[in-house]
Amino acid sequence: MKQLSARKRAWMDDFSGYAFISPWLIGFFAFSIIPILFSLYYSFTKYDILGDPVFNGLENFRTMATDELFWQSLKVTFFYAFVSVPLRLIFAFFVAMLFNRGTRAIRVYQAIYYVPSLVGGSIAVAVMWRRLFMADGALNAALAKIGIVTDVSWIGDPNTAIWTLIILAIWQFGSSMLIFLAGLRQIPKELYEAASIDGAGALRKFSHITVPQITPVIFFNLVMQLINGFTVFTQAFVVSGGSGDPLNSTLVYALYLYQRAFKYYDMGYSSAMAWVLVLIIGLMTGIVFKTSSSWVFYEAKEGK
Amino acid sequence: MKGKHFLILALAFLMLVPGFIFAQPAAEASKASTMRLAWWGNPTRDERTYKAVEMFQATYPEITIETETTGWGGYWDKMNTQAAAGSLPDLMQHDYAYMLQWVQRNQLADLTPYVQKGIIDLSKINESFLSGGRVDGKLYGISLGTNAVCLTYDPAVLAKAGIAEPDSTTWTWADFERIALEIYRKTGVQTIPFFTTDPKVGFDNMIRQTGKATYGKTGLGFTDPSVLREFYAIQLRLLDAGALIRPEIAFVSVSPEEGAFAKGQSWVEFIWSNQYVSTQAAAKRPLKLALLPNIKGATAKGTFLKPSMFFSIPASAENPEAAAKFLNYFLNDLSVNDFLMGERGVPIPDDVREHMATKVDTINKQIFEYISLASKNAGPIDAPDPAGSGEFLKMVRDVTQEILLKRVSLDEGVSRLMTRGNQILK
Repeated sequence: MKQLSARKRAWMDDFSGYAFISPWLIGFFAFSIIPILFSLYYSFTKYDILGDPVFNGLENFRTMATDELFWQSLKVTFFYAFVSVPLRLIFAFFVAMLFNRGTRAIRVYQAIYYVPSLVGGSIAVAVMWRRLFMADGALNAALAKIGIVTDVSWIGDPNTAIWTLIILAIWQFGSSMLIFLAGLRQIPKELYEAASIDGAGALRKFSHITVPQITPVIFFNLVMQLINGFTVFTQAFVVSGGSGDPLNSTLVYALYLYQRAFKYYDMGYSSAMAWVLVLIIGLMTGIVFKTSSSWVFYEAKEGK
Repeated sequence: MKGKHFLILALAFLMLVPGFIFAQPAAEASKASTMRLAWWGNPTRDERTYKAVEMFQATYPEITIETETTGWGGYWDKMNTQAAAGSLPDLMQHDYAYMLQWVQRNQLADLTPYVQKGIIDLSKINESFLSGGRVDGKLYGISLGTNAVCLTYDPAVLAKAGIAEPDSTTWTWADFERIALEIYRKTGVQTIPFFTTDPKVGFDNMIRQTGKATYGKTGLGFTDPSVLREFYAIQLRLLDAGALIRPEIAFVSVSPEEGAFAKGQSWVEFIWSNQYVSTQAAAKRPLKLALLPNIKGATAKGTFLKPSMFFSIPASAENPEAAAKFLNYFLNDLSVNDFLMGERGVPIPDDVREHMATKVDTINKQIFEYISLASKNAGPIDAPDPAGSGEFLKMVRDVTQEILLKRVSLDEGVSRLMTRGNQILK
């Protein structure tokens, strides 16, 4: 060991470090970085998998401008993200508030309420959603019980179908809820005690302590869920059977991208679409970050 | 200290080693006569195909077959990826819709040499069953069964309405419309919109009756939209009379059991003959099969016999001779067909078909009888689907929904279908 120079030893240290993480590194390069670079290249080509990719410059991006379904899928996705994300966060926050009172049974409820997040993309849910929202489904049967007789096929009517996906999204509030709950537990009890002494009511405590204290968590959840919302695929795929039915009203962006890639074998165009989605998500996240300084409360900034 | 470093390094490398070690045996085994076989299927088909593979290996012990199977959706993702990577199997199940595109990209081998060498025996097969697998005189796929488009109906509903069962070789769309309205008036049972999963199949049959084809060399194969218009006009008239199941319900993709026909809400369903077994199983009542109605002044046959699926040998196959041997065995051997039981469609060699007809159950017998009826009332098959057909079919389905949901007028919808169709298929 004494013969080894310090440099050599440092190199050995580095090398064994890299060797240890090599399974991850190989996976990262082979399954993430290289495919990502390829997709960037393909986005400037016409490529149908069977043949060789042919470079066609910005043609794919030009096609998007006149592609009706592209704009339709953007419209659907923006609507979905802007409606489902706030609703899911509000709902998750509400449930987390309920759980924050902390009895022992709460742990069981937490587990139960997390289940929808796990099973949301499964075929079983697709079947259940159809049974709930079909013309002769459970929802209409329940409505009939309270005197509203209707035979609207919620899942088959282009005006209402997207709402069944939004309800599915709200139902999968589990992970946001757990993060909110962890955030709520972090709020110092003294703040509430002090407020009580000053005579603040429950509503005032909520708006002046809970909400400001939880804004960093809201911020985190908002960013994560916004990304989830824009890349939504599985739910739309299973509920519409992969088609975006009815009349493309549930044709979310990722679903159209998938159809382009694996139904029409238009890999170049779908790669280009993927990069446009990256830009859109980047932009939306950027906006949220930019505005965050005006509404997210950080303890460290106090006392300035 | 040094020992410790080596230990760490050795451990780190060990984590990588298993992959290399376990990859070895498979690579060595392929030196022997091994072939890979791929198909899409369902549990029944998989089980019967495994049995066929087993029987083949018992007869030809020098050949080992490795199998790959997935559902329809995943199958083409997988095969296209393998084609891009140059690692296609030696024998693959293929479909008429994708045949032309694969041939144009030089992915499939011509089977004629194997026929000439006598490895594949086509002597018992009528040319009309083979033509679907030919492109420019070369044979790129051999049909594993015959399929034809049909209409299945519930004879009990007709009886209840006091309507005689139609002679499906001569009936017209006017007869169909009259029957549908009368059934609705007398029993309240409705009619399902025509071919909700793929409306093109429906009007294609009508366009063929005018002697034209849906797909042309470039663009659409027809210029007169009157037949296309009629296809939608019939449905709109039934819809206005309350006799058509509402499109909001009919176009939701459901399992056969959840469908309006299985629930008894429709007296009729439009299917391919190889879907009859599952349709019948879902409906759980006696059904009958019929040809699609004729249009007024038909000059040609709308129905055609379609190869339900092919076996094709990719151009990159490493062991095409073994693949050809298996293909021949699968196609012609009577004992193996006893297990396959026509699950992929009605077999094409005459002797196999006659042999099978004596063995199948009543449901399959109905299919055999229907195929024989269809073969007497069929015209030649059109050229395989061109590139862009996937996008065209989606557009057709969208416009069909727009028309039936009355988001666009009939004329506007039809003209949209014509112009968009010509754009997509250009």
